[in-house]
Amino acid sequence: MSDIVEEIRRAYAGVGIRLDQPASYGTYYRLLCAGCGRMLGNVGDRLLPGQAQEIVDAQRDMYASGLLGCTCGHQQERLKGARA
Amino acid sequence: MSEMDVIRDAEERGRTDLWPLWRRVYAQGDPLPKFTPPARPAHRFDEGQPLPEEYKSLLLKMLRHEGERAGNKSFLGLMGTCLDLAEALFPTREMRLLKAEYLAEELKHAIMFHRLAVGLEHDFALRDVPYAHYAFHLPRESWADDAFFHFFVDLNGAFHARDWRESSYVPLQKMSATVERDELGHSEMGYYFLQEICSTPRGKAQAQALLAKWYPATLDMFGRSDSPNVPKFIQWGLKSVGNAEIRRAYKAYVDRKLVALGLDLPDERARRRFL
Repeated sequence: MSDIVEEIRRAYAGVGIRLDQPASYGTYYRLLCAGCGRMLGNVGDRLLPGQAQEIVDAQRDMYASGLLGCTCGHQQERLKGARA
Repeated sequence: MSEMDVIRDAEERGRTDLWPLWRRVYAQGDPLPKFTPPARPAHRFDEGQPLPEEYKSLLLKMLRHEGERAGNKSFLGLMGTCLDLAEALFPTREMRLLKAEYLAEELKHAIMFHRLAVGLEHDFALRDVPYAHYAFHLPRESWADDAFFHFFVDLNGAFHARDWRESSYVPLQKMSATVERDELGHSEMGYYFLQEICSTPRGKAQAQALLAKWYPATLDMFGRSDSPNVPKFIQWGLKSVGNAEIRRAYKAYVDRKLVALGLDLPDERARRRFL
């Protein structure tokens, strides 16, 4: 696994999103809700170093407010817990 | 009937009032800026002609970046992500069908570029070339992300295809009008999705926040303004304009459409990687 993929995995784990196995021919990975397993989207493995964490950090408020994340509310709950 | 006529016939049977979305745009006039080629040697090469070494190397480099080839596993992988998103996130059946039409049209391009690749270098036709630019790898976690991806990234393809109208490589020049028109239609599909998304306060807030991720990436897609290869591309007739000029024209186009959605434009230098 590349360093970038590991960075992506770590960044998303912090907001309750799990990186799945590579999809189709590699390069792209599904993003799954760590709570219920629903597919939330996907991401590629050619992000620049540090970029995954920067993106997830910038999107934190969106997960917290429910503008992004699973309809089951796992990311929202998790971020509320982190603030408490 | 040639194989492309068969595809054209199938496409025409798929037309609706909405699809393809390029129709209503071109009906109002040419939507894209005209690029005036600079004074340069008049090169022209057709399939089967011997190509100068530097010319062939630059042409292959350009086509590696383009990526839409049937024999490019990474392109098919990218299309797979579009299918995944359409299945998982589609807001309405109409929009899901639009994504299906989009995929069909991209696969048509994959056949067209496959033919071009075979005519250029057999080994290239089956070469896997993962998209190198980070814009193709940004996370898409919502329908709005996917809408921005199409609005911005497919439009980038339309701008480059416009420039190929002046290409010195005849097979590319012949394809350029079709690719330009289709890619502009794909961008319009993304914009159509964005119009729907921005019609509610919640959707607009989501789009405004996500724009901060997509805007710098899309401006970065044109590369560095001082790229040392660009003068060579221009001299050989493979490009007509430099990165800075095409980015400027593209930015003016997208800014106008983003403002029409009621979105605030991000600082054009914020979070940029390639100035």
